[in-house]
Amino acid sequence: MLAPMLGRMSSLPARSQRPPAGIPDSPLPGPYPVGEYASALRARLRAFANVQLIGEIVHLRAARARVYFELRDAHGAIPCAVWQRDWEAIVARIGEPPTDGAQVVLAGGCDYYPGSATSSPGFSFSVSDLRIAGEGDLLARIERLRKQLDGEGLLERQKRFELPVLPRTIGVITGESGKARDDLLAGLARRGWAGRIVWAFAPVQDRHAAPAITKALGALAGSGEVEVAIVARGGGSLADLLCFCDETLCRTVALLSVPVIASVGHHTDRTLLDDVAAVSCSTPTHAAEAAVRLDCNRARGEHLAVALRLREHASRVRSAHDFHLSRAERLRDHGRRTVVGRARQLALLSRAPSEHIERQRARLHQQLREIRAGARRRLAGDRTANATRALVIARKASSTAHECRERRPADLGRLALALAGHDPQRTLERGYVLAQDPNGRPLSTVEAARGAGRLRLRFADGELNARTIEEER
Amino acid sequence: MSSQEPTLTTSPPSQPSYEAAVARVEEIIRRLDSGEASLDETLRLIGEGKQLIERCAGELAAVSGALEELKLDELVARLEREATPE
Repeated sequence: MLAPMLGRMSSLPARSQRPPAGIPDSPLPGPYPVGEYASALRARLRAFANVQLIGEIVHLRAARARVYFELRDAHGAIPCAVWQRDWEAIVARIGEPPTDGAQVVLAGGCDYYPGSATSSPGFSFSVSDLRIAGEGDLLARIERLRKQLDGEGLLERQKRFELPVLPRTIGVITGESGKARDDLLAGLARRGWAGRIVWAFAPVQDRHAAPAITKALGALAGSGEVEVAIVARGGGSLADLLCFCDETLCRTVALLSVPVIASVGHHTDRTLLDDVAAVSCSTPTHAAEAAVRLDCNRARGEHLAVALRLREHASRVRSAHDFHLSRAERLRDHGRRTVVGRARQLALLSRAPSEHIERQRARLHQQLREIRAGARRRLAGDRTANATRALVIARKASSTAHECRERRPADLGRLALALAGHDPQRTLERGYVLAQDPNGRPLSTVEAARGAGRLRLRFADGELNARTIEEER
Repeated sequence: MSSQEPTLTTSPPSQPSYEAAVARVEEIIRRLDSGEASLDETLRLIGEGKQLIERCAGELAAVSGALEELKLDELVARLEREATPE
């Protein structure tokens, strides 16, 4: 439509050389070089009158030089761009940067970037000014409903559910051909869970979605077998997720008798279903983990470990029981022995006094007998010894008397004779003379007599003094 | 306000949940490991622990076979058949 218009543009450069051949038999002018055509298009678009537009900001994003977003309403949209310096001025004026969903009035006009050999072309509404017109209708309506549900306590009802740790049956509402189904199954498989899944396939993004999901949730909960329900889809833009902000659906979920896990959006787009549900997950994988809170693979190992520990303790108890049993038997034997021993001891003790007296009496009698016998033996011994001693004395006395009477006189005579035999007088009587010095000492040699000079000569009948005179021969 | 309302539960209140059973078993093991339990208590705890762990293992075994998948319509049809008196 624009080509004929552009064909008439005076700005198109005059062809200095012959243009290449066009499509044969085509009534259209050209061919023109695309760059020239793009430049002409930009000029033409820029010639459009600048206007003001009203709509909601969607997909707001900042690039290095410009800020981009779409301006939408129920019937259409247009891509918009603002130079960074203009955006900063707008933000400074309105106080805070506009966000997705904001209802705004824009001032500006059409622009076209013709691109180049290495960059893509693009159309945009070049914004020169912006004014906040109020929150977007869509988001404002959702926010109003959120507050209403919250005021009725419906946002909290599902939160009070105690989710089963290990459900046997899980109901899942999702698109039949969506990737969410595979992700969910993979998440459950990673948990080691292999229970029962009841699939309730439903559209998840058009106007039929909310009623179908509501009906499926009612059927799942009504079955009485589903312990937890998951509503899952792979995500999408906020507009795609509007069905999950349906009032009837949200009220149904809030009043449901089973906990619902919502996994319909992502971090940036939060639906009312996320607020109403018991748990909100960003991905189907997380939803699987929330539905089966127990890691079954690990739990199997833990059960084994616990069972082994219990068996170990039971074994200890058995050992202790055996030990106590043996001790009890030993105690019983010991008790029996003790009783018998005590009985014997008692019997002995009962006889003990008389036996003791008897033993003592016998011992005294024995001692008495021994003392008497000892005394008799000692008396007899003494008597014998005395008799012997008396006999010895008598014999000694008799012997002494005999000696005194007979032997002693003879002995005296003999001794007298012996003495007499040694008397010098007797020798003198036989004619011998005893030479003595004047002092009476005997002179037994000639030399002694020569030396003495004077001699006393003793004869049997008297003494004679003499002098030694030697005559020479 | 709503936080004061009782917690909803999906399991019958008479039976302890899997989580409570596991917690009780752990408590039993701790008590047994402490060596402070008397013989009577030890025997009682072992019996209780065995029952609980068997129950937990039973619950785990119920979701340890092959994954069973059925569509909601099939479930509804089966429930209707079961509800219809013969």
